[in-house]
Amino acid sequence: MKRRKFLRNTTAALIGLPAALNGMSLSPIRKSALLDALNPDSDRVLVLIQMIGGNDGLNMIIPLDYYDKLYNVRQNVIIPESNLEHFDHDLAFHPSMKGIRTMFDDAKLNVIQGVGYPNQNRSHFRSTDIWTSGSPAEEDWSTGWLGRYLNEDHAEFPTNYPNNDFPDPLAVVIGNSISLTCQGEVGNYSLPLTDPFNLGQLASGGDDFIPDNLYGDQLDFVRTTIEQTNAYSERITEVANQGTNTVSYPDTGLAQQLKTIALLLAGGSKTRIFVASIGGFDTHANQVQSGDPMLGEHTELLTKLSGAISAFQKDLEGLGIDDRVVGMTFSEFGRRIKSNNSDGTDHGSAAPLMVFGKCVIPGVIGDNAEIPDEVGTQDGVAMQFDFRDIYGSVLEDWFEVDKEIVKDLLHADYTRINFLNPCLDPIPTDTDNPLEEALQVNLFPNPAHHYVNVHFESERERVAVTLFNSEGRLMETFMDKNLQAGRHEMRFDISRYPSGNYFIRVVCSGLRQTSRVFAKF
Amino acid sequence: MNRRNMLKSMVGLSPENMSAAPAPRPMNVGLEPFSGTWTKAHAAHLLRRAMYGPNLQQINTAFEEGLELTLDQLLADPGLPAPPVNLVMEEDPNVPIGSTWVEAPYTWGGNDVVQYRVRSLRSWFMEKGSMEGVSIVHKLVIFWHNHFVVSDVDDPKFGYNYLKTLHLNALGNFRDFVKAITVDPAMLRYLNGNQNTKNAPNENYARELLELFTIGKGPLVAPGDYTNYTEYDIAEISKILTGWRDQGFYTDNPDQAVESVFQGWRHDTTTKTLSEKFNNAVLSNNWDQEYSDLIDIIFEQEEVSRFICRKLYRYFVYYLIDSDVEQNVIEPMAQILRDNDYNIVPALRALLSSEHFYDDLNKGVMIKNPMDFIYSAMKGLKINFSDDAIQRYSFNLQFSYVLEPLEMVPFYMPSVAGWPAYYQEPSYYRIWINSVTLPLRQNITDGVAWSGFNVGGFINEIDALQLVNDLEDPYYPDKVIEEFALLLFPNGVTENQVEFLKDALIFGLPDFEWTTEYANYIANPSDQALANAVGIKVKNLLATMMKLSEFYLS
Repeated sequence: MKRRKFLRNTTAALIGLPAALNGMSLSPIRKSALLDALNPDSDRVLVLIQMIGGNDGLNMIIPLDYYDKLYNVRQNVIIPESNLEHFDHDLAFHPSMKGIRTMFDDAKLNVIQGVGYPNQNRSHFRSTDIWTSGSPAEEDWSTGWLGRYLNEDHAEFPTNYPNNDFPDPLAVVIGNSISLTCQGEVGNYSLPLTDPFNLGQLASGGDDFIPDNLYGDQLDFVRTTIEQTNAYSERITEVANQGTNTVSYPDTGLAQQLKTIALLLAGGSKTRIFVASIGGFDTHANQVQSGDPMLGEHTELLTKLSGAISAFQKDLEGLGIDDRVVGMTFSEFGRRIKSNNSDGTDHGSAAPLMVFGKCVIPGVIGDNAEIPDEVGTQDGVAMQFDFRDIYGSVLEDWFEVDKEIVKDLLHADYTRINFLNPCLDPIPTDTDNPLEEALQVNLFPNPAHHYVNVHFESERERVAVTLFNSEGRLMETFMDKNLQAGRHEMRFDISRYPSGNYFIRVVCSGLRQTSRVFAKF
Repeated sequence: MNRRNMLKSMVGLSPENMSAAPAPRPMNVGLEPFSGTWTKAHAAHLLRRAMYGPNLQQINTAFEEGLELTLDQLLADPGLPAPPVNLVMEEDPNVPIGSTWVEAPYTWGGNDVVQYRVRSLRSWFMEKGSMEGVSIVHKLVIFWHNHFVVSDVDDPKFGYNYLKTLHLNALGNFRDFVKAITVDPAMLRYLNGNQNTKNAPNENYARELLELFTIGKGPLVAPGDYTNYTEYDIAEISKILTGWRDQGFYTDNPDQAVESVFQGWRHDTTTKTLSEKFNNAVLSNNWDQEYSDLIDIIFEQEEVSRFICRKLYRYFVYYLIDSDVEQNVIEPMAQILRDNDYNIVPALRALLSSEHFYDDLNKGVMIKNPMDFIYSAMKGLKINFSDDAIQRYSFNLQFSYVLEPLEMVPFYMPSVAGWPAYYQEPSYYRIWINSVTLPLRQNITDGVAWSGFNVGGFINEIDALQLVNDLEDPYYPDKVIEEFALLLFPNGVTENQVEFLKDALIFGLPDFEWTTEYANYIANPSDQALANAVGIKVKNLLATMMKLSEFYLS
């Protein structure tokens, strides 16, 4: 492992919270271990984007430090180096992802590298089941990870839903089918929706007793679905009529799905889980146009993905609800390191996953995919992060689910990964006290690359300059010594840290100032 | 037996087990031949499951002729249907109106000169189902399409060729079928077998051949070991299958047919060895016959017979296969398949004539897929089709478009695994039914019952009067409802539902008013006002019945 270790290893090495920060709220206010898994007052929304078919992560976020080795084994599909623009520690986005790239620069994106699970299964539907259920590869679970979460507080669903407390569907899929992520013990929590303005009222009546057998089970299912559709349809149309979008979206399937989600949120929908999808990532052949890797199916897919997500993010900002929504992509697997002779790539293993929104801790987590000198035909990208730890972190940090419940829902060894900062800045970035302006701290460049310059003024006194991460943990004391009076210009190396938000704190006698810097490599 | 008891027994209910707690599915009976009394309900169950949209006359005939004769008819192989013809495109110089285009080269005279064939194929395929009588073939071809998935292979000549492979083998030998599909030109394109060469093996087909087409994937017991085969087998099989190409894709060359060719110089001639899962079988180079050697070796594994029997079971009986079903139905059915050298019909016939198939537990437990649903409304109520081929073409084309938002479009599968309703735990068939598809389904049944479908100047509609006239006893509302319930519902109706449906038929009037009105109409058949009065009431009854959840089940 090179420059950066697993985040969890890094975290373990950190020291506790410094006394210098006493009195401040250093961590997001977390509710105590209530019995409810769901915070009834929360209005936070998760938007899942399923990339169906197995996305080629190595051509989406390209490790430039291994470019030559990659080139050797996937010459026919790799993007020419001259077209790759570095955005972070030796990484480049596929050139079609301009919108995503801008979101990264604007600190609205987190990329987690090497996401997968042990014993990667390379069957589409088995691996999709694993990703949607959140099961280990060796076990067959019939419920979805979000279904189990919803089941905590809505075990009786669909009986008595909708109701005054939950007038909207608990989960909405934009499409014609339910999402397996929302499969509960009894029913599926997701309501499929294509056109919110056109949900017809279904005829009902004539229902008699349900026989107590398998036939009765199916009959009950159809009847209940009819009742549910009727119960939700009026409300959804009402919500959609009250909403409005603030930007125009590309004319692609995914963009239109996200547009509908924004519209419903704008109209006051209390649904907190949305699922959108984009298919076509199973690029065994013609992933790129023969002879021109800049073109082809994968380029088109990533163009759509990037255009849709960036328009959605802008819309959320325009609507003023960007602090309520995070989005997350997933795909059943990555693809092989080595390409095939069909200008494509076969089913692989781990791949990067993206989380976006105002409330993500921006940056990149994990090492660049390591490309060995000798790449076997079967080799995929090694796993660094178990996808269930990402799900768990979303549940814990975004939906405020108690850690023990998260373990129950996902796996006993769940380890939190730090990529969500629920828009409760642990450290105020403005001045700490009225006198602070005397320090005249100035940070630049910001975003910073490799180095950050810190300029400030002091008396003849002892001054400490320290670096904290976005959680408020002390990462490094850059300097702690006596200085002469006057303006000081210092330069600190931050290149060994992951991209993301940091706080630089300048403390002298009686004065202190904390300033935020976004590190980007 | 009074009527109440009779209705209860139709759904397998007695007051005792109505109050019983939900129990795991008891295994009443297995694959032994059905020995009970053959009733109309049995005949209806068989036809509903084994064909698309049986009507009442067909059900009555099946009842009269009995199980064996009906199975003879269902399982008869009608041979290859006549190919689709050019009905509408006058600008195709290679295909005069009225001739088939399936072997004609393309001419690049604008997109439509090519694309009309796509529409022609789609419509033709739907029409096979629309016009089919008592036969399992169309339903079985769709089963095989869902099994050997080919999707998004645009050239309709390839699509037709693939359908021909399905038709020719649907009631044939499973081993031969796998061999034929392995080198089918459309399959070579869809799963990249045409790009699988000795220098760059493409394993896409090899993986699906094992996982989805023949032996199935067992539990992952070690890295790369799926119980029935290993990742190593996939790599070796990829090599075995190298060298095949398809030819004739969108060709304008009149001498180039749609075909598969074997190119020895692209074939990996090394000796391949499979894992211990296949008894470490060694395959030395056998050029264009090596794929056939391979498939023979795969078929030595008995798991192949169980795998395909489970899929047939999920399609024709029920999705849940517990250990009882595995032991008492799948295992003996697989034995029959093996005993008959993998010929499909004897095993299928055993299933459709078994005690298990007719067990009350298996009646009404299947949610109709979109095609089954639409055919059961249209064909079940004998919607009329135009005698004019172009009007029929337009109608069946529209029909294929209606299927799109219902998520069941032939040639456009969601994935190589087929429709999730046939494999996706735990929902299975329930996947078809949701807030988007339900209103669309209800629009369709309303259209069938009320307005019909005006396509291309012809109104495809039901004849409500004829439907009621054809009933055994059309004079009494209870009887009318019961007979239509036999057609439309898997387990009849309850007494309360009869009362509810009577309201739809006679709007709260006493029963004798129907008897009077109907007799009046029969006595004065030329009185249009009387006919309309009766017809509207029948239509309202049928529309109401098709909105009940019972109609969604089979």
